[in-house]
Amino acid sequence: MRDRYRAGLGLLILTASAGCAGPQSVFSAGGADALQINRLFTVMLVGAVLLWLSLNGLFLYVTRRRPGRMSRKLAEGVIIGGGIVLPLVVLTALLSWGLSIMPEQRAPGDGLRVRITGEEFWWRVDYYPPGSEEPVVSANELRLPAGPRTEIELLAGRVIHSFWVPGLGGKTDMIPGRTTRMSLEPVTPGIYRGQCAEFCGASHALMAMNAVVLEEAAFARWLEAEAAPARAAEGEGQAIFFREGCGACHAIRGTPAAGVVGPDLTHLGSRTTLAAGILPMERAAMVSWIANAEAIKPGVRMPAYGHLSKAELEALAAWLEALE
Amino acid sequence: MSDERKISQEQEFSEERASLWKITFAPTIWAVHFVLCYGAAAVFCAKVPRAEAQVDLLRWGMAALTLLALAGILLVARSAWKQWDFLDDYDYAHAGGNNEDRHEFLGHAAFLLAIVSFVGTVYTALPALFAGTCR
Repeated sequence: MRDRYRAGLGLLILTASAGCAGPQSVFSAGGADALQINRLFTVMLVGAVLLWLSLNGLFLYVTRRRPGRMSRKLAEGVIIGGGIVLPLVVLTALLSWGLSIMPEQRAPGDGLRVRITGEEFWWRVDYYPPGSEEPVVSANELRLPAGPRTEIELLAGRVIHSFWVPGLGGKTDMIPGRTTRMSLEPVTPGIYRGQCAEFCGASHALMAMNAVVLEEAAFARWLEAEAAPARAAEGEGQAIFFREGCGACHAIRGTPAAGVVGPDLTHLGSRTTLAAGILPMERAAMVSWIANAEAIKPGVRMPAYGHLSKAELEALAAWLEALE
Repeated sequence: MSDERKISQEQEFSEERASLWKITFAPTIWAVHFVLCYGAAAVFCAKVPRAEAQVDLLRWGMAALTLLALAGILLVARSAWKQWDFLDDYDYAHAGGNNEDRHEFLGHAAFLLAIVSFVGTVYTALPALFAGTCR
């Protein structure tokens, strides 16, 4: 029986500790804000363990080692010292420290502004370089430069969402009709995973995206490329795209497709994932997504294109993939 | 219950009516201070033009309000401490069930509530001290 408990406990710890690393873990911090949150957590954890040990030590002492009557003075010392003064000092110190680092977490950005809008169940991502009023429109992937602090504006379409990339910083709610804000200061280039953190409907759990942190120079190059119109090849794929009316919902800059209902596809092929963080950017995934998006992401507004032949789906997927 | 006994209970109660009220004073000051601070911050940051630049105005206002609230709580605490009269008999328990015990118990309770209210009021004001911004 005891072995079974041990095995159960081991399994629990193993399962729980799986959350301690990976692209969506606050412990794999790659941003100044996440590092700060990490530090807070570590101090709180160590402090809590120390408190737990000393309190239980005290209980053990008074119930086992010295169970007799205490002197009035000692009893008053324990109650007033341990019950009032100690928690007051500890909580005041923690509160002061926590409050003093809060303004840093919400500091204004250094220049680049990114406006992210939560949709059902994907993200509009618009980049406003310093001094620019016209955004570079993208979707379902956030790219940030390592080093500077980026201002992030958050909006929501029809329902609430919450923007959270645990590896980079804290989360902020997205509320219809309001603009909320936060800022992120990534320090280590890499890929971090973000996830909608406020229940928003059937596919809430399937509303994710990668945050790709690049060196500053690489980011500048990427943003320039992202701002350029698509290099769309002529051919069967393009013909199917326009024949099926995809352009009514999706925009591909440089082509007549200018829909704004769904995500912008101008440089779809250069993204790391498909369907807002849940599918790999691969031909097979693209084909099954177009054939029946609803089956993969319930509640999505994109209709199924199962009436297309396998060859047509392949051609369309190949054409979309080439939009880099 | 006989009429006589009822009357004597009413008399007893009226004597302690004042100190029953006294119990609520410190927490009430704390609550009013809380509502005023949070309300002022919300209205100031949302409605005042260029609020961010003038946020120190709000902080000084809150500082004054906080000092006023703390002074009020200290007054309540002093009067409650006198009523408890702890140094007279070092009594925590008030187990006698007589008038003096009831009187001292109410003082004791009001004093402890004043401590909690003092700490709560300070904690309410701390964000204004550390976060000098509307963001």
